[in-house]
Amino acid sequence: MAAAEAAGMIAIGAGLAVGLAGLGSGIAEKDIGAAAVGAITENPSLFGRAMIFTVLPETIVIFGLVIAIMAIFVM
Amino acid sequence: MSRIVIVGTKTRLEDAVNALYCEKAIHVIDHTTGDDGLSIGTSLEKTSKASERLLKVRALEKELGINKHTTTADISVEDVQSRINAGDVEGVEDEVLKTVDARNDLTQKITELNSKQKILELLKNLNDITLDQYSGYKSIAVLAGTVTGDASSLKIDDAEIFSSYDKKTGGVAVVFVKKENRDQAYAALAGIGFVELHIPVYTTKVAAADEYQRIAAEIEAAAAEIELCDKALEEMKERYKSFLKGSDEELSIAVEKGSVPLRIAVSEYSYIIDAWVPTKKVDSVKANLEQKLGDDVYVEFEETRGRNLEESEAQEPRFQNVPVKQNNGRIVCEYEYATSLVSVPKYQEIDPTFLIAIFLPLFFGFMVGDMGYAIPFIILGAYGLKKTKHPDWRAIALVLFFGGIWAFIFGLFFYGEMLGMHFVGGEYEAGVWEWHHDHVAVGGTSVTWDWIFGAKFPEWFNHMICSAGTWDSATGTWTGGETGIGKLVNVALLLKLSVYVGIVHLFIGILCGVYNIVKQHGGKAAFMEKGGLVFTFFGMILFCLALTQAMFGGEIGDIAKGTPLILLVVAIVCLVVGIALNAKAEGGMQAIMGIPEVIGWILSYTRLAAITMSKAGMALAFNYIVFGMIIATRTTAGGEVVFDPFANVIMLVVGIFLFCFLHLVVWTLGILSAGLHALRLQFVELMMRFYEGGGESFAPLQEVRTKTFFSKNTNNIKEV
Repeated sequence: MAAAEAAGMIAIGAGLAVGLAGLGSGIAEKDIGAAAVGAITENPSLFGRAMIFTVLPETIVIFGLVIAIMAIFVM
Repeated sequence: MSRIVIVGTKTRLEDAVNALYCEKAIHVIDHTTGDDGLSIGTSLEKTSKASERLLKVRALEKELGINKHTTTADISVEDVQSRINAGDVEGVEDEVLKTVDARNDLTQKITELNSKQKILELLKNLNDITLDQYSGYKSIAVLAGTVTGDASSLKIDDAEIFSSYDKKTGGVAVVFVKKENRDQAYAALAGIGFVELHIPVYTTKVAAADEYQRIAAEIEAAAAEIELCDKALEEMKERYKSFLKGSDEELSIAVEKGSVPLRIAVSEYSYIIDAWVPTKKVDSVKANLEQKLGDDVYVEFEETRGRNLEESEAQEPRFQNVPVKQNNGRIVCEYEYATSLVSVPKYQEIDPTFLIAIFLPLFFGFMVGDMGYAIPFIILGAYGLKKTKHPDWRAIALVLFFGGIWAFIFGLFFYGEMLGMHFVGGEYEAGVWEWHHDHVAVGGTSVTWDWIFGAKFPEWFNHMICSAGTWDSATGTWTGGETGIGKLVNVALLLKLSVYVGIVHLFIGILCGVYNIVKQHGGKAAFMEKGGLVFTFFGMILFCLALTQAMFGGEIGDIAKGTPLILLVVAIVCLVVGIALNAKAEGGMQAIMGIPEVIGWILSYTRLAAITMSKAGMALAFNYIVFGMIIATRTTAGGEVVFDPFANVIMLVVGIFLFCFLHLVVWTLGILSAGLHALRLQFVELMMRFYEGGGESFAPLQEVRTKTFFSKNTNNIKEV
């Protein structure tokens, strides 16, 4: 019973890690994405640089994912 | 790149421009007026005529519907030139405009007739009145118009009312009334929504119905004439499209050539051109120009620009920026588009295209890692590369093709997987092969191809595929691990692999950064600027390695003994040196911020494992739906679950349909997620370590001909 409870808590923890990190990335990417689309409309040659800035916060969710994976598979 | 100066007499400027175009290696540096007594030149004599003709040609192309998608036969330059000189452009213009004008007149006529016909259509319901009776009275006013109610019951003094009314289509009313009573009639008619019609004046007695027929016939005749005009225009398009597209190209080149003097310096009798030429071609350019222009030209070699930044900064502003000619092989050069999405490389830095060409498809392939998805990627990519010319599509096709090849390799040899299912469901246990036959029964977590086929793959095939188990040299087999790396099973392995790949990839980026600074400012500057980063990078890696060895190898206290201790000491030394160097180069705050940044960069590569897992997870769920829930299976007497699709054919068809559809979803998402993340790893993680960009592309003077060709094998380019 205790083991099952622990597994459940780990699963909740992993879910929170990915979910909250994803939320963070989303909030960060929202503003950059909107600005990037505006910039690309003005000048399509900015696509590459706009994409770089847009995907920068994506790393946050990867951190969350790593923690989640470690929680499930390593702990 | 080398800089040259070309000086010559203005009388032969036109020949000189032609000769420059022949070289295809001369990038003209725009002249800026200063206090050197030189001014900017004026365009060549024939340019204004050529641009006038070009305008005409473009207008004709628009009129005839010739655009860039129209396919035309190529035409020889000599032919186009002689026809343009003979006034063919003007001739074609006359011919086309005549027909176009005629068509416009007819269209106008039809519009007028249509409005007339509309009126007559209403009036023909009033059979008692002929058209001449609507006008020509002295004391009677005629009010004719459409109404929305019945007019026959209206009471108007001294008036005669003719009307026809239909509830659905509305009606028409004509009131003949004494002029004095006109206002009264208007007021009465206003109550039934009267809108007045302006009836044309007729002097001959003709019934509205007859006139309606006559106008209908007239419209038909005009439409037939328009059709003839259209046919004539279509025929002209066929006849002249090749000439028009050829002359568009020829005249564009002439105009472009004619405006070259606007970019160069001239004095009263001579012209002076500053230009960049690839160093290898300096001698040949000089020899060719002197041969073509004889004593009327003097070419002087100025300098060969090195990669040192101080050397460039010492120059005049207009000579500081050197154009960049990316020098990549036939396949790698296709990736130049990806680099240019960020920026054109500077003259003084490494062109990252080569690294993108290696790692972009590799990462894409690793993340897709499935033979079943790889094959359509390869086919689609190859088709795209063969068919498309547009750089956007070519770039996508290129990644799909080479990424597909990598995905095939990883899918077959590393993951041993096709469409989310392993080929082999079994493993060696102490040298003995054990087949898995009950996976679906256990919970459908891993349907395998050999289970579907109901037959084992040959031994050599099993040996080809990697395994997460350990290699048993005595039996020559993998022991204790499934055949093929499980994307959702060997997660720790994939994560570690991603991190190691990341370290290598980042280190390549950092090395490129060091190389750039060595070239631009020398070794000492490179050590001071990038040395700190290199030390911090390795210090942090070793520190994490020591920490993980101690944490996962036993107790955290183990860090104080054995290998972890040595690693820790080296790491701390590296970190201290790194921070000290960074603090000197960028300031203390930046130096401290730089440490966790390194971890961020490296962990960013775990997306390689993450995307792999996410797609495997989707494929697993879909396969479970199809094979575990829809297509029939049967349990044998021995308790084995066997694939038995023909037990229920309808479910089999539904299953196959669903299987194709669901995997198409995974496949499509694969392009987006794997493609974008692979690109991001290049743009952000790799290129931000060293790449600045902002260079100017090498744009030599040259004729770009796609529709015209030189029929004689000659270098002489005649002027139009």
